[in-house]
Amino acid sequence: MSDVKQSAVNGDEPLPQAAQNERLRDGYWYYGPIAMALFLAFWEVSVQVADVPELYLPRPSVVVVSLYDLFVNKNLAYDLGLTLFRIFGGFFLAAIVGIALGILMGTSRRIYAICDIFVAAIYPVPKISLVPLLVIWLGSGNAFQIALSALGCVFPILVNTIIGVRQCDEGLILAARDLGATRMQIQRKIVLPAAVPAIFGGLRLALGISIILIVAAEMQTARYGLGARLQLAGQVLETGQVFAILLLLAVLGILLTKGQQKLDGLVSRWRTN
Amino acid sequence: MQFEAISIDRLSHRFLSRTRPPTTALTGVSCVFPAGKVTSIVGPSGCGKSTLLLILRGLMSATEGKVQFLYGDGSGNRCAGDPPRMATVWQSFNLLPWRTVLDNVAFGLELKGVSGDERYARAAEAIKAVELAGFEKHYPGQLSGGMKQRVGLARGLVMSPDILFLDEPFGALDAQTRLYLQEQLSAVVERSGKTVILITHSIEEAIYLGDHVAVMTARPGRIARTLDVDLPRPRGIDTQNNKRFGELFTEIYGLLRDEVRKSMLN
Repeated sequence: MSDVKQSAVNGDEPLPQAAQNERLRDGYWYYGPIAMALFLAFWEVSVQVADVPELYLPRPSVVVVSLYDLFVNKNLAYDLGLTLFRIFGGFFLAAIVGIALGILMGTSRRIYAICDIFVAAIYPVPKISLVPLLVIWLGSGNAFQIALSALGCVFPILVNTIIGVRQCDEGLILAARDLGATRMQIQRKIVLPAAVPAIFGGLRLALGISIILIVAAEMQTARYGLGARLQLAGQVLETGQVFAILLLLAVLGILLTKGQQKLDGLVSRWRTN
Repeated sequence: MQFEAISIDRLSHRFLSRTRPPTTALTGVSCVFPAGKVTSIVGPSGCGKSTLLLILRGLMSATEGKVQFLYGDGSGNRCAGDPPRMATVWQSFNLLPWRTVLDNVAFGLELKGVSGDERYARAAEAIKAVELAGFEKHYPGQLSGGMKQRVGLARGLVMSPDILFLDEPFGALDAQTRLYLQEQLSAVVERSGKTVILITHSIEEAIYLGDHVAVMTARPGRIARTLDVDLPRPRGIDTQNNKRFGELFTEIYGLLRDEVRKSMLN
């Protein structure tokens, strides 16, 4: 306390903790982009110098041109939109089910005992192996895609929520009871907020899984969507287009990861150390 | 009818375990804690002090015996009644890390459904009373241990409890911070006339803050003796220079010495 007063008197206001962390974290932010730029430049030049045929390895500039062409002339925006809809459709469905069931399983021994054996049975099944069954049930459209993604996403969210709820500090619950909290208030105001960091960890894993599953399923069964276009481009040996779609997926990955990090930071501003 | 005392009669508590034989934490504890006074409970570590506090506070039920809150009209007639308002300050602070200081202090009022404006006004007042004005927007993770415990104290005091339970409130703090907070607490307690139950393993703290000191034995814990602290109030740092302080210290240490050795052996 006296430190703060002291430096205020001296005229150099200390930064609030959050801003200090920001500064520490952001000191090296440009290292990544520079490394990427160097890598792309090396790729561009070496392919040109070694004269590698475009069929095997197109230059980054060619990839960007085919990406532009795909968007302008081949309506790739529609496929992108469709893929995003499927990724997030499955993800959000899984988030609702996973968090709700996770809280129930984390707080009630009875519900845990009932559900645990189902979780243990379904969790390790590779979700891609459910494709034939899901196609028989749901066809090969959006319902199937979303169901597949939701099945893949729900377990990391569920397991993380259970862990988050269970590791809630007993002392906090005791303090809340001392202040007169009801059982319901303890769940809502202590257990759930305490589990948020763990739940976010589960959500982060789940979004990655959703992307993988949707693209893979689209490659197998869909007519539209980034996975379908990727498969098609490969079949007709349009390597430039293949790279263009991979590039799009990579950018998508970066954007989603960064977006999630921002959201995570916003929700857990209090975690200052 | 006025709240006059907490009384416990032959209170025992056993912890059951699936893997180990049951542990007896408390056995036949009887004591009366008078209202408006500070009773310090001092004992060797592991003697069941904190268990006793949880039982007194009603957050745990004893295996045997019960806690009674006695009300009387001042003429010696007493009857048991509903527990009065109580609040606890914890050794490990137990502040909600995702809430600001203001929201932590207002938490108890929020649980009771007190409206936003009123609870923030009352919380701000309590924060000022523990000299933390200006830190309302800070998160517990940004505060020192001493500041956290003042938040803990404010969170309890804002509920205007009749009984304040202090569970080794300064145990996690460094020696200087502890001295300062003891002084502050002593002032707060003397002004308010609240009933205070203080759990501590520090003999000095027990005497300095207490009107009575209950000395517990090693596990299974019992209250071996209760001493009156006949030192003048208000007390300050020079209270420790009082000759009587030294006598009480020696007497309590004499009672505790063998118990501490026992507690180290089992």
